[in-house]
Amino acid sequence: MRYEIRVDGDMSETLAQAFPELEHVRMSGQTVLFGPVVDEAHLYGLLARCQSLGLRVLEMRRVPE
Amino acid sequence: MRPGWPIGPPLGPWVPSLLRVSVRTLDFGAVGVLPVIRRTAVVSAVSASSDNGPGPVAEGPDPLGDPFLRTRFAVPSRPATFLRRRRLCEHLDHALDTPLTMVNGSAGAGKTLLVADWAAGLGRPVAWLTLDASDQSPGLFWAHVLQALRERGVREVRKAGCPADAGSVAHALLARLAAELSGRDRPAILVLDEFDRVTAPEIADQLAFVLHHAGRGLRTVLVTRTEPVLPLHRYRAEGTLTEVRGAELAFTPEEAATLLARHGLRLPGGAVAALVARTRGWAAGLRLSALAAQRSGDPETYLKEFEAGHSTIADFLLAEVLGRQPARTQDLLLRVSVLDRICPDLADALSGRRDAGAILAELHRANAFVEHLGHDWYGLHPLFAEILGAHLRARSPGLETELHRRAARWLRHSGHLLEALAHGAAAGDWEFTARALVDDLAIGQFFTGLRSDDLGELFSRMAPDVTGPEADLVRAARELAAGAPARAGPYLEHARRALEREGRGRAAARLSCALLDALSARLTGAPGRAEHAAARAGEIKQDIAPGLLDRHPEVTALLQTHLGSARLWAGRFDDSRSALCAAAAGSEGVRTALPRQECLSQLALIDYLNGWTGRAERGALAALAEAERFSLSESWGSGLGCLVLAAVAVDRDELDKAEALLERAGAEQPVPPDPVTAAGRAIVRARLQLARGRTRAALETAESIVPSAAASPWAQDHTALVVSAAHLAEGRPEPAVKAVQDPACHRTACAVAAARAHLAAGNPDAALDLLDGLPAEEGAGPAVTVRAMLVRAEAADRTGDHDTARRLVGRALLDAGHERLKRPFVESGPWIRRLLGTDPVHGPGRDRPAARCGGASGAEPCALPSPTLLVEELTARECDVLRRLAQLMSTEEIAADLFLSVNTVKTHLKNAYRKLGVNRRGEAVRRARERGLL
Repeated sequence: MRYEIRVDGDMSETLAQAFPELEHVRMSGQTVLFGPVVDEAHLYGLLARCQSLGLRVLEMRRVPE
Repeated sequence: MRPGWPIGPPLGPWVPSLLRVSVRTLDFGAVGVLPVIRRTAVVSAVSASSDNGPGPVAEGPDPLGDPFLRTRFAVPSRPATFLRRRRLCEHLDHALDTPLTMVNGSAGAGKTLLVADWAAGLGRPVAWLTLDASDQSPGLFWAHVLQALRERGVREVRKAGCPADAGSVAHALLARLAAELSGRDRPAILVLDEFDRVTAPEIADQLAFVLHHAGRGLRTVLVTRTEPVLPLHRYRAEGTLTEVRGAELAFTPEEAATLLARHGLRLPGGAVAALVARTRGWAAGLRLSALAAQRSGDPETYLKEFEAGHSTIADFLLAEVLGRQPARTQDLLLRVSVLDRICPDLADALSGRRDAGAILAELHRANAFVEHLGHDWYGLHPLFAEILGAHLRARSPGLETELHRRAARWLRHSGHLLEALAHGAAAGDWEFTARALVDDLAIGQFFTGLRSDDLGELFSRMAPDVTGPEADLVRAARELAAGAPARAGPYLEHARRALEREGRGRAAARLSCALLDALSARLTGAPGRAEHAAARAGEIKQDIAPGLLDRHPEVTALLQTHLGSARLWAGRFDDSRSALCAAAAGSEGVRTALPRQECLSQLALIDYLNGWTGRAERGALAALAEAERFSLSESWGSGLGCLVLAAVAVDRDELDKAEALLERAGAEQPVPPDPVTAAGRAIVRARLQLARGRTRAALETAESIVPSAAASPWAQDHTALVVSAAHLAEGRPEPAVKAVQDPACHRTACAVAAARAHLAAGNPDAALDLLDGLPAEEGAGPAVTVRAMLVRAEAADRTGDHDTARRLVGRALLDAGHERLKRPFVESGPWIRRLLGTDPVHGPGRDRPAARCGGASGAEPCALPSPTLLVEELTARECDVLRRLAQLMSTEEIAADLFLSVNTVKTHLKNAYRKLGVNRRGEAVRRARERGLL
C-alpha cells in the first residue's frame, strides 16, 4: 500500500532523511511524504516518528497504487 | 515561581526550561546519582506530608535488582526559568478529586514539567515513575509501579507482593493492591510519565482494573503523548477524569511574553503574538526561537523572518541553534544523540577527544540542549535527541553504528550490562554482545527474573552467521528457555568443544555452558549428564572472578534446581531433596523466585510419591503461594504444584476438585518439556480416570510414553500400579499381579498392589507373605501404609478373622483420618462396606471417633442428642440414597446402583441434608441412624 503524509512546514533536507523509505516534496509551506508502507505497524511507526521529531501531521491518506 | 524555590543566579540570556529531561535515561550511572536539586524537591515534598512519613530511601535490596533505577522514581527538577502557569495548576488540582488525570500533548509541550511542578508544590508524597521503552511487559511495569509507590512510603503495597516474572502479573496481586489502596483515608498519588511508551493493551486493562477497585485510595496522573487505551469515554461520562490537553498547554501571548522575558528577550506585544501564532503556543518552539534569536545579532528582525518562513519549526530552529555552536560542540552533540544518558567520559569515548566535560558543562551553564542529571551525568531532551540523530545520519552516514559500538564497549567496561547489550545490539556487534552477557554470568537471566523477555527479544535479532562459543551459548539458552532441548543440543556441543580448546580461561563461559548442560540434561531426563554438569560447575566456580557469583544468585539456584530435578527423575529422592532444599533455602529475591518455587513443587512431589499426602499438600500450597507472591507464570515445571494438589485430591476422593486442578496444571502448557512434570501429569490423570471408572482411558494414559534418555523408576512403578489397579477393577487379578511383579518394581506401593491382586485372585496367603516380606521402615507415608493395612484386613476378613479385620480397618481409619485419605477405602471394594456397615462408623471423616471402630462389640452407646423432630419425612428415594451413603458408596456409585443420574442423586442428597438439618455426609448418616431411618 502507498500512503501520503502531509506535514506542516517546509521540512529540511536533513530532517527528510529521517524518513529514508519515503520520498518528499515541499509545496506552499507544507511537506508531503509519500511512498510504500509495508503494513499497519509501519504506518503507526511513521506517525510516531513524526511525533517524536516534533512534526505536525495535517493529513494522512492512502493513495491508489 | 514557588516561594523558596532556588532561582539562583541568572543563567544566561535564555534558558530553555523546556529541556525536559527524560529521567528514563538514568537507569545506570553511579549510585546516588540523584541530582541535588531533585533530591531537595523530593525531600521537601515528603517531609511536608503528614500521614505517610518520609519514604524509605533504601530498604534492603532493590527488588528490581537495579540500584540505578531509583532516579526514575524522582520528580524531575524544573529549570530556573520555568514558568508556573496558575490556570494549569488550578486545573491539575482537580486531579485530587478524580481517580484518573490525563495530561497529553505533543513532544515538547511542557507536560512533564507542568506535572512535576504541581507535584512538588502539593506538599504531600507523590509516587513518580518515568516509563521506559523496556517496561513493555506487564510484570516489569507493575514491578516498577509498586516500587514507585514503595519509594514514597505507600505502605499498603508491601502486602501486595512483587512480580518476578517479566511476562505476567497475577490478577490476585492487582486485586490485593487495589484492595489495600482502597482502604487508605488519604489517596496515594501516582504519576506515570511518558505513558505513551506503554503499548501493551493488557497493561491498560490492568491499570483500569486497579483504578476502578482502588476507588478513593488512588489518584493516577498519566503524562502521555498519545491517548491510552483506557475506557476514557466512560470516565468522562462519569466525571471521573481530569484532562489537560494540548490546546490548554499552549502558551497564551501573555504567558509567552513572560517566558521570553525570563529568557532575556523583551519584545513588543505584536511580535510576541505573531510568534505565538507561528509556533501555536508550542513551548519547545517558543524556547528554541528565543534561543535562536538570542544568538543572532538582531533578535526582533530574526524572529520576523522566522515568522514569515514556512519551515517546520523544531527542525528549523534546532538547525539554527546548532549551527551557531562551535564545530567541536556541534560534533559532540551529534555524537551523543545516540545515548540515553551522557557522562563526559562516555562522550569522550564517542568523540575520541578529551573535551566533553568542558563542553557539556558549558552547554548546561547556558541551558542549551542538555540537562544535568546529577554528578557527572547529563541528558538530552528526547525531541532534540531525535532531530540531532537525523542530523548525525545526514552528516556522517554510517557513523551511528560505530558510535553504538564504542558506547557498548564503554558501558560494558563501566559495568552497565543491560545498556551495553542494547548498544551492542544496535551496532549489530553480536559477538561482542553475546560475550558481554556470558562474561557477566548473566545467562541465567534468560530463565528467571524480570529481564528474561527483554533478553530473549534482544537476542532474537542475532544473525545466524555469528560465531563463537558465547553466541552458541546464547542460542542454546534461547532454545532451552523455549523448552526445546533437542534444538539446543548442537549449539551446546559446539560451544563446549570450542571452550575446551580454550583451556582454563573463560571461566564464566564454561560455567554458563555447564548450567545450560544441566538444564538440557534435566529436560531430556538424563540424570547422569546432569550430575556431570553440576560437578563440572562446582570445579569451574573456583575460577570465577570473586563477587560475580554473589551478583548472580540465580546461577547457583538454577543449577541446584536442575540437579535436584534430574535426581528426582532418577528416583534418588534423598539426594534430590538435599539439592532442592539448598536451592529453596537460598537467597531471597526476585531473580531466584522461579527456581525457589520450582524446588518447593518438586519437594511436594517427592512427599506425595512417598505417600505423605498431607505434607505434599502443604508443600504444594507453599509453592503456589510463592508463585502467586511473585506472579510467576508457568515454566518448565509447569503447574507441578497444581498437579500434586490434584493427586492429593484423588487420594481424598475429591474427584471434581482433582479434575479442576489437573485442568489448571495443564492449561499453560499442554506438553510440559520437563519429564518429571510430564510423568507426574500422566500418573495423576490415569488415577483420576481409574477413580471415575474409566479403566481403558486410564490404561492408555498411564502407558503414554514420556520421552527421556533414562527411565525413571517411580514413573514406571506408578504406571505399573495404575495398570494393575485397572486390571483389578475389570476383574482380572492375574494380569494385575503380573503388572506389579516386574523386577523393576521394588517400591512398597507395588508390593501392596501385588498383594491386593493376589487377594483378589483368592490367594490371601501369598498376599500376606508379600506384605510380611516388606522391610519394616522405608519412610512410606499413610497413603501407602493405609493401603497395606487394608489388604491385611481384607485377608483377615476372608479367613474369617473378623476381629482382626475390624481392628486393622480401625487403625487404617485412624491413620487415614489425619490425612483425610478416602480413596484407599473406596478402592478396597465392597467387603469393607459390609464390615463397616455392621458398625456405626461413618467413613474416614476427620471428625469421626475412629477408636470406636476398634472395639469388638461396636455397641458402645453414644450420647444421643435429644432427638429433634423432623419437619419433613424423608421420601423413599431419599432413604434409598442415604442407605447407600451409609455403605460408603460414592455419589456416582449410588447413581449407577439406583439407575439415576448423578445430578438426581445430588438433589436427593441435598433434600435429605436439609430435612435432617445437616450439611455433611457423615453427619447425615449419623443423624439418620439416630432416628432409625436406616
